[in-house]
Amino acid sequence: MPDPSVPLLRLSKVTKRFGVIRAVWNVDLEVSQGDSLAIFGPNGAGKTTLLRIIASLTQPTSGEIEFAFKGDNQSRNRVGYVSHLSLLYNELTGFENLLFYARLYDIQEAHDRAAEMLAKMGLEGARNQRTGEYSRGMKQRLTLARALLHEPQLLLLDEPYTGLDQHGSRLFTEVLRGLKQEGRTILLVTHNLGEGLELCDRVMIQNRGELVFQARGEHLDKSGFEKLYFQAVEEGGER
Amino acid sequence: MIPLYFLMVLALYGAFLYAPTEREMGEVQRIFYFHVGAAWNCFLAFFGVFLGGVGYLITRKQSWDHLAASCTEVGVVFTTIVLVTGPIWARPIWNTWWPWGDPRVMTTMVLWLIYVAYLMLRSSLPEGETKYKYCAVFGIIGFLDVPIVWFSIRWWRTIHPVVITSSGAELEPEMIHALFVAVIAMTVLCVTLVMLRMAMRLNSSMAEEVTDAVQRV
Amino acid sequence: MNPIALTWVLVGKDLKIEYRSRQAYLTTVFFALLILVIFNFAFDPGSPATREAAPGILWVALLFPGIIRLNRSFQVEMEEGTLYGLILSPADRGVLFLGKFLANWFLLIVVDLLVLLAFVIVYNFSFSVQLLWIALLIVLSALGFSAVGTLLGAMVSTIRTREVMLPVLLFPIILPIILPAVNGTQEILLAQEIQSLGRSVELLVAFDVIYLAAGFVLFDYVVAD
Repeated sequence: MPDPSVPLLRLSKVTKRFGVIRAVWNVDLEVSQGDSLAIFGPNGAGKTTLLRIIASLTQPTSGEIEFAFKGDNQSRNRVGYVSHLSLLYNELTGFENLLFYARLYDIQEAHDRAAEMLAKMGLEGARNQRTGEYSRGMKQRLTLARALLHEPQLLLLDEPYTGLDQHGSRLFTEVLRGLKQEGRTILLVTHNLGEGLELCDRVMIQNRGELVFQARGEHLDKSGFEKLYFQAVEEGGER
Repeated sequence: MIPLYFLMVLALYGAFLYAPTEREMGEVQRIFYFHVGAAWNCFLAFFGVFLGGVGYLITRKQSWDHLAASCTEVGVVFTTIVLVTGPIWARPIWNTWWPWGDPRVMTTMVLWLIYVAYLMLRSSLPEGETKYKYCAVFGIIGFLDVPIVWFSIRWWRTIHPVVITSSGAELEPEMIHALFVAVIAMTVLCVTLVMLRMAMRLNSSMAEEVTDAVQRV
Repeated sequence: MNPIALTWVLVGKDLKIEYRSRQAYLTTVFFALLILVIFNFAFDPGSPATREAAPGILWVALLFPGIIRLNRSFQVEMEEGTLYGLILSPADRGVLFLGKFLANWFLLIVVDLLVLLAFVIVYNFSFSVQLLWIALLIVLSALGFSAVGTLLGAMVSTIRTREVMLPVLLFPIILPIILPAVNGTQEILLAQEIQSLGRSVELLVAFDVIYLAAGFVLFDYVVAD
């Protein structure tokens, strides 16, 4: 059950440098169980790098990162990651992709689980179609299905709306809202204010690697946020 | 630095004045002192690359990568010295620039290729832990190849015409003295160069840290 | 899932993908055949000198498709970022290496044996039991080649100049196994009596063991960031 008092994830003074470029700079962040958090920022603000650090795809240059998953310290089993790439094999069918990942995650009854996730995302009709032939929206839903196969506690989403049309976005938001209601923790990174504000309770702005603004959604005037965002981004100066 | 200058001058004296002229090979044989001195240091330097790689993968401390990188650079320079002095000596003596089939020559050449490839890998990667790790891995793989290269060429050679019989007759005592000094001088040179390169790398990463700290304030 | 079963899942995935995109694979085979034919044109076709050089030509013709194969192996994983999918999973990195390595080894052996077949025809050698010995050399050298190649291929997969970086890194490392391979082939095809084939095999096996172990241990460092 969600317990907001225990932070699921804690970052302190996390910095990532690529040579002289600082992609992520001095980030302090706490995410509690059941949070839905959106991090906004212009291109090159370091959002993707921050997410990759949390996903343990890359190590921070300095700083600490702690997970508090109950009873299991294996963060890989507890994190689901949707990157801007699909992480799916174009030559395999939707079902084969899910089955492959289910086996990789050592899920019992992999067949059933893969079929179940396809149904949940409304992709049964495309079960035996190669994902290379999927539309962008279908592929994105399959990507989400892949990330959710192992029932992760923390779901990381990197620009999930890229390339989706209106209808696709709406469908995708519906699915995410469902996940939120299930009590899953969501961390969304995007440069698109609309979807993030609609979905998330907490918002942050990252610019030039730093987190420059954060607020809880309840206290936020959503129309005023846009103004605030551009102000914050301009103050930092765009890269 | 001062002992190094002293040693180098002593080595030059030993090789060109102190040691007698070789009876059959003549003056050109004098290159042998530096050739051997450089050759031993190749292995020393490349062992340093291996050590630095293992050290980095275990500790993740950047100083190990500094060691590996510096050793590669210096090792490649010394290998180049070996590969340049070798043919100069070989041509008048064995009537061939490049005795294919001699395990030492071939091993040195393969080593040169491996570590030049290492430098290319280094320069094609962006600064960061990934780079240090990849280089460490390649440094280890490269060093593992040394015994295989050696045996491969040794065994292969047994059924091929042997170009070189024995690398030299008995050495005069003066020659041994000169060789001894040359090897020591070259080794000190090698170690000094590695240390200089490491110091340079350390300074530049410290400068980066200072810049960071200033920006953080 | 136990490691052996998981390895087969990984191998099966790679083979399935290669089968479905067999165009790329066939292109590799065709490329190897081209090399054989080009060498036959470059030297005087059918002359004794060409025959002498034939074993060397065979191994050059085996080397280049090998590089293409390895590049492709990780290109597939980079297209949609599936390499990250593999790394993010709790699967053991050594098992990931084994899966990739076995798939590469198998696919390489198939190309290589087709090349051998074409070689025998193009260079007018006879089909005899001795070809089995060459096949053994091919299987052994493909093993070492795939082991180092899988490790280095994963390493260069993120570098922009990977197509040229892979041979630059791989060729110097595998140079020592070219000697016993070519030499063994020469003995099998041309020599009166076989003397050092055993040594060639020994050296290839030593190389295979060393680099298979190194790949298994070091793969973790290559894919984890």
